[in-house]
Amino acid sequence: MERKLLLANDHIEGIHTLDVYRKHNGYTSLEKAFKTMKPDDVLEEVKKSGLRGRGGAGFPTGMKWSFLAKPEGVPRYLVCNADESEPGTFKDRYLIEHLPHLLIEGMIISSYALGANISYIYVRGEYYYLITILEKAIKEAYAAGLLGKNILGSGFDHDMYVQPGAGAYICGEETALLESLEGKRGNPRIKPPFPAVAGLWGCPTVVNNVETIAAVVPIIKDGGDAYAKIGIGKSTGTKLVSASGHINKPGVYEIEMGITVEDFIYADAFCGGIRNGKKLKAVVAGGSSVPILPAELILKTAAGEPRLMSYESLSDGGFATGTMMGSGGFIVMDEDTSVVKNLFTFARFYHHESCGQCSPCREGTGWMEKILKKFISGKATMADIDLLWDIQSKIEGKTICPLGDAAAWPVASAIRHFRSEFEEYVKHPESIHDVKHYFRLNNLEIQNA
Amino acid sequence: MAKVTIDDITIEVPDGTSILQAARMIDEQHGTHIAPPTMCYYSKLETSGGYCRTCIVSVTQGSEKDPRPMPKPVASCRTNVMDGMVVKNTTSPELLEARAGVVEFLLANHPLDCPICDQAGECHLQDLSYENGKEETRYEFNRRRFDPIDIGPYVKLHMNRCILCYRCVKVCDQLTDKRVHGVINRGDHSEISTYIEKAIDNDFSGNIIDVCPVGALTDRTFRFKSRVWYTNPVDAHRGCEKCSGKVRLWMKGDEVLRVTARKDQWGEAEQFICNTCRFDKKKTSDWTIEGPTKVNHHSVIAQNHDDLRKLQVGVKKQIHQLDGVKSELGKGPLDPNNI
Repeated sequence: MERKLLLANDHIEGIHTLDVYRKHNGYTSLEKAFKTMKPDDVLEEVKKSGLRGRGGAGFPTGMKWSFLAKPEGVPRYLVCNADESEPGTFKDRYLIEHLPHLLIEGMIISSYALGANISYIYVRGEYYYLITILEKAIKEAYAAGLLGKNILGSGFDHDMYVQPGAGAYICGEETALLESLEGKRGNPRIKPPFPAVAGLWGCPTVVNNVETIAAVVPIIKDGGDAYAKIGIGKSTGTKLVSASGHINKPGVYEIEMGITVEDFIYADAFCGGIRNGKKLKAVVAGGSSVPILPAELILKTAAGEPRLMSYESLSDGGFATGTMMGSGGFIVMDEDTSVVKNLFTFARFYHHESCGQCSPCREGTGWMEKILKKFISGKATMADIDLLWDIQSKIEGKTICPLGDAAAWPVASAIRHFRSEFEEYVKHPESIHDVKHYFRLNNLEIQNA
Repeated sequence: MAKVTIDDITIEVPDGTSILQAARMIDEQHGTHIAPPTMCYYSKLETSGGYCRTCIVSVTQGSEKDPRPMPKPVASCRTNVMDGMVVKNTTSPELLEARAGVVEFLLANHPLDCPICDQAGECHLQDLSYENGKEETRYEFNRRRFDPIDIGPYVKLHMNRCILCYRCVKVCDQLTDKRVHGVINRGDHSEISTYIEKAIDNDFSGNIIDVCPVGALTDRTFRFKSRVWYTNPVDAHRGCEKCSGKVRLWMKGDEVLRVTARKDQWGEAEQFICNTCRFDKKKTSDWTIEGPTKVNHHSVIAQNHDDLRKLQVGVKKQIHQLDGVKSELGKGPLDPNNI
């Protein structure tokens, strides 16, 4: 079912301007929060809503906020993570491009709840045109008295700044983002201390994804309880999903959590089925880092239940037969797609984006890329499959930040579910140019089993 | 105080001690060898550690209050002990396998040019791979290559050998007043460099040679003079207005080939020394000799180092003059007849 909380008004012309946004009930949540609620009430509503971080990890937002240390005389910061760089994810870009004021409203309400007088929006370097949009919107908000001193007569002061990154995937990791924001090399910090205790400039900081912060607006508008009723189980509310790949209607969709994956792929309201009437081969459900799943496992869990678009259902079965919700980068691959070639592209990306700070990721990502290159140039051996498996297992969980895991999981899952394809490349290097060949072979194997 | 058990040995340590420090305390007290190896951690440098991942340990019990095990191996140099923590290092085969993996990663792009590397014989990466690595590498691709550069008149940088431990960056950050030295680029193209290849010009810059665990930063006044195991380390001091003046001389016959800081049992400099002591004072007469350095038998340097017998006449003469004088270390009078 389509349910629009965030993108309800994205089609309205001029919604990126303050006037039009206000005409469509914009900033009413802000007024409600400032006039009728105390900061702790806002926090309580967010806790009740069951909102979970939309950047990938899915950590409960209310809990993250309540961890924020509040020592006397030390400023606190809210940082919006708009360094959306996960391949396959483009929802934050869409949201900022169309509804910059939604993000700003969410930022002001969140800052009010956290007692943060300064907030930053850290925008991915490649999204340079969003900076203009955001700065224009912030200027409008200042002019309307929604930012600056004594907002709406509440006595709460707030300043908001936009900071562009220089184009590094790693700066989407919250501590690397803070380093970059401080003007340093974007290397992830070693935790603890967590940003909630010592973040930006060593002060308590909350770092939240764009979509998470935007979701605070409907939560305050309708109340946390109403928000918690949307969705399924612990996956409350709606989620923006960036659908891409071999589908009829790629784009950003807002879904209520709990719709089936099958619906999402085939329903006309969403992806509209596989392009050119082809068969579904595999799906990367949450952005390039999450495990890839073959068609049979993405549509149904190992237990035969229909798989749902929710945090729990997507990760049902662990990594053996499940995947993750991640950041909602839904990449669909049809029967003609080569998983190994796709994996090479992913591996090349992680090699390029590794910060080089800790050794398993620095050396391992490049190594995996080189081995995968052997596969797609027909020079690999059977031993290379095991070697690849061994390398990924030695990267996973041994690194400072999750980039190592993100590089290891796609490799592990591709070998786990599509080993025969790797073997096919070794046995018949000529099949590299005939992708249908090994899919037919795969299908046969599945039918025989 | 917190009670922590590492490899079945329990020790009580002050709160805020890292697992690594606790393991080193156990080794110092019990003569065991359970302390995890370190490549990037340096106790004298703030915020060092956490990068190389060789010191990973598995925490099988988080603490007395919260006995859950930690899901992933943790870097022992950057993880503090909790009361009731149980840690496995050498007793966990899975962990040793994981560490062997880290060693393999560190060696993946290392040129293995030990036969022509000045660091060979005192290289921590050599020790690490002998003790924790596998016999063969599975890496079959071209290794990344950089040209060696001179950073200043005294230091040569061989980026090929670097394992990016960041120790030299921390030295320049914390010990010297002008920061001109850092890491450029990222991933496996990361490179230690100076700002637009500017020379490092600072009284304490030579310490980056001492903290470098591999042969990436070497002493240009010593390069290719001798293999370290053909030299004899001797502890010496001089009155220096910049530093403590307590150094180690690496001698061949009467000649001082190299001056370094004194290293403790963990391979760390006891006190950082200045460039004057390190690079300019290369005559025996510049120094007051205290006596031969005690060399661990595990070290290849021990191969050629048996007490003072190998020291040549000039040094013996100086020691003779010391007769009856207590050395600064309080070792008591040196009797030349025993030499």
